[in-house]
Amino acid sequence: MNSVAVSSNQALWADDSQVLADVSMVGREQLAPAAYRIDHEGYYPLDIMANLGQAGAFAGHLDQYGARYGLAVASMQEISRHCGSTGFMTWCHDVCGLYMEQSGNPALLARLPDHTAGRTFGGTGLSNPMKAFTGIEKMALKARKVPGGYSVSGTLPWVSHIAPGQYCGVIASVDRDDGTRSHEIMFLLDLDERVTLRKCPEFSGMEGTSTWAIPLVDYFVSQDQIIADPARPFIQRVRAAFILLQAGMATGVIQGSIDSAREVEPSLGHVNQYLHDRPDELQAELDEMTEVTSRLCQTPFDGSKEFLLDVLDLRAWGSELALKASQSALLHQGARGYLMNSSPQRRIREAHFVAIVTPALKHLRWEMAKQMREEVPA
Amino acid sequence: MNQQPLDKTMPWRQYICLACGLIYDEELGDPDSGLAPGTRFEDIPDDWECPLCGVTKTDFELFERQEITVSEQPIQFNREPGVVVVGAGIAGWSTVEALRTLNPDVPITLVSACGGDLYHKPELSVAISRGADKSALIRETGPDAARRLGVQLMPGTFAVGLSPALRQLRTTRGTLNYTHLVLAQGAKPVLPPQLPPSLCWRVNELEGWSGLQQALAGGKQSVAIVGAGMIGCELAEDFAHAGHKVTLLDRNTSPLAGLLPEEASSRLVNSLTNLGVTYYGGVDVAGITELESGKRVVELEANPSIEVDHIVAATGLVTDNRLALQAHLRFESGLAVDPQTLCTSDPNIYALGDCISIDGTPCRFIEPVKHQAQAIAHAIFGMDTVTYTHTPPVIRLKTRSMPVVLHGRPLAEGTWKTISQDANELIMEQYLGGQMVSQLKIGTSTQSQAA
Repeated sequence: MNSVAVSSNQALWADDSQVLADVSMVGREQLAPAAYRIDHEGYYPLDIMANLGQAGAFAGHLDQYGARYGLAVASMQEISRHCGSTGFMTWCHDVCGLYMEQSGNPALLARLPDHTAGRTFGGTGLSNPMKAFTGIEKMALKARKVPGGYSVSGTLPWVSHIAPGQYCGVIASVDRDDGTRSHEIMFLLDLDERVTLRKCPEFSGMEGTSTWAIPLVDYFVSQDQIIADPARPFIQRVRAAFILLQAGMATGVIQGSIDSAREVEPSLGHVNQYLHDRPDELQAELDEMTEVTSRLCQTPFDGSKEFLLDVLDLRAWGSELALKASQSALLHQGARGYLMNSSPQRRIREAHFVAIVTPALKHLRWEMAKQMREEVPA
Repeated sequence: MNQQPLDKTMPWRQYICLACGLIYDEELGDPDSGLAPGTRFEDIPDDWECPLCGVTKTDFELFERQEITVSEQPIQFNREPGVVVVGAGIAGWSTVEALRTLNPDVPITLVSACGGDLYHKPELSVAISRGADKSALIRETGPDAARRLGVQLMPGTFAVGLSPALRQLRTTRGTLNYTHLVLAQGAKPVLPPQLPPSLCWRVNELEGWSGLQQALAGGKQSVAIVGAGMIGCELAEDFAHAGHKVTLLDRNTSPLAGLLPEEASSRLVNSLTNLGVTYYGGVDVAGITELESGKRVVELEANPSIEVDHIVAATGLVTDNRLALQAHLRFESGLAVDPQTLCTSDPNIYALGDCISIDGTPCRFIEPVKHQAQAIAHAIFGMDTVTYTHTPPVIRLKTRSMPVVLHGRPLAEGTWKTISQDANELIMEQYLGGQMVSQLKIGTSTQSQAA
């Protein structure tokens, strides 16, 4: 499978350090100056994301490019270091590519090269189904079998990195005639003329992530759009990789926070020495986290419970440290960090986002406790 | 016997068995072996045996709950993180007591996957026939013990991540920093794939036992026990005494294979058979299925299957190695510890109880735990006067109808010699190259003859 290998691009992005250097340059020169506009004014930076795609930021984790999860996470970290919103959209874009590739569906594989290179864009609407699978909430989309495919209705709230003409991976439940659940399907939802995106209320930050509600009424899904039918075994297989990729969002916000604290060390070090969570301390913890991340990135499809626990632990740890580091950065910068357009101010909101976006810190802990508990006869 | 007027002038005393930790309470007596409530310790006959492990009166000593001084534990800004103990079984609580005895001030946090209630684990394999339930086995609730010992108890909390370089333990209720960490997480039952956890009970901690106890409380039922090791044999006898129909299965021909020679294990089988237990040796379980009636079917390789109400898996224990691997701690069938200080390969992390291994061998007995806790507490406070000396504990099988006492550890290549035997008792010794390696006594004790 995966016959549509892109040999030219493979050669283009073969060198990890070159990809990281290019991504880092786009981050510094283009994202950093735009970060406030993206976060606060709702600027959706598709132009910059196209440049990131050209640099190879969205390719590393794909089988076609050698399943280099470490590279994908490191790229996401470099992006998040300058702009958490774009780091989050990088994750959305990366997992959408993961769905397309892992689907093995030739129609989706044919669309993958444009996606990977940042010529087309797509996100993920799996927050609701992921929570539905673990019993936290109900499935929002319902599918009905019709000739040649499925007909889907329902409203998916809050899907990011989408716009008219783009697409996202979603899941819908299929019921039997008697109303009981048969199974679920996963497909690439094309946001064409049949779909009218509904505006979301204003968020406290991350406004440029192009986040919309998707109301669907009898939307026809063709075979060419199917990612997995049934969806559960597929989700089971990619679940750890899906969560592991998010590590880059957290580590980027943490690194950016440390950068901000260090930036004022020459002028404010004499008073900052009295603060908790000094940059060296945070850096040591981040280095430890980076080492764990690299190890887990070696085997993203390890299906064991132990591996999943390691990934959930890393993701929760990332949230905790992002909260701690962003708070510390603002205290280190003092009044200048309190300015509305300052990076530490923005990163406080980005860290909060890291801790509440699916899987949220509380869900991670809940899930780890569930995984750790021993099953006994009913 | 020993009916005497209750002496109300003196408070009731408690005596603790040094071998297994069972507490004899004068007020309650031990009616199962004929000691009426109110029997003073000195009035207990010399041939009376510990109902749990079979040692005699001379191995008991007065048990006085130590008054442990605890200083007020104010919320302090920036204080040292203190000691974090993971696991609130006997090993965890023993460590907390040992630490608190030496130091009234050190902050202690106890992380427990369960509620943290104190109970005596060896009792689980004899408690059903005594009609006990969970509340009867709890000696002190977790919160009460936490108050008494001045520790912060985190019940229902799992340790999920460990970074020794940061001295950081991550749990399902947040991250803890520690000065020293003590791992006392125990071991988990191993379930082969043929035994799905949703259909097989395990008896390794109070919660799991309690589920089984409630399931068996509704009158006579049929139970299949898979695995005729120490726990499997003890449970078989316990359930049979309670009136249940027990089938005991093992892949080896004889129970306790590897520990007992054939002459001894056949006596055990006879004893179990007399109690109504059906022993099937040399059988492999192919799978378990559940019928619509709720009954379970144990399918056997090359043998007819068995239909029962409940299945108990007693197929051994294993130590979870995930945290150890993540933290790069040395692990050899258990957390590898220094045999004197119980320190792991990280200088700030200690371990004791069922989760450790000494020279590559796990040691899952109750008797050494208190000594291990003492050694750890002394090492943590830099007092090296108390170190631990590891000797393989005496194995005492709590099968009251046919008690087994085994000193040393039998070796596969050793030769067994019969020292004495009659209808009631068999004494044997095992030799290897002229050297005695173990000593075995199996037989009907005077106590159960009298009972």
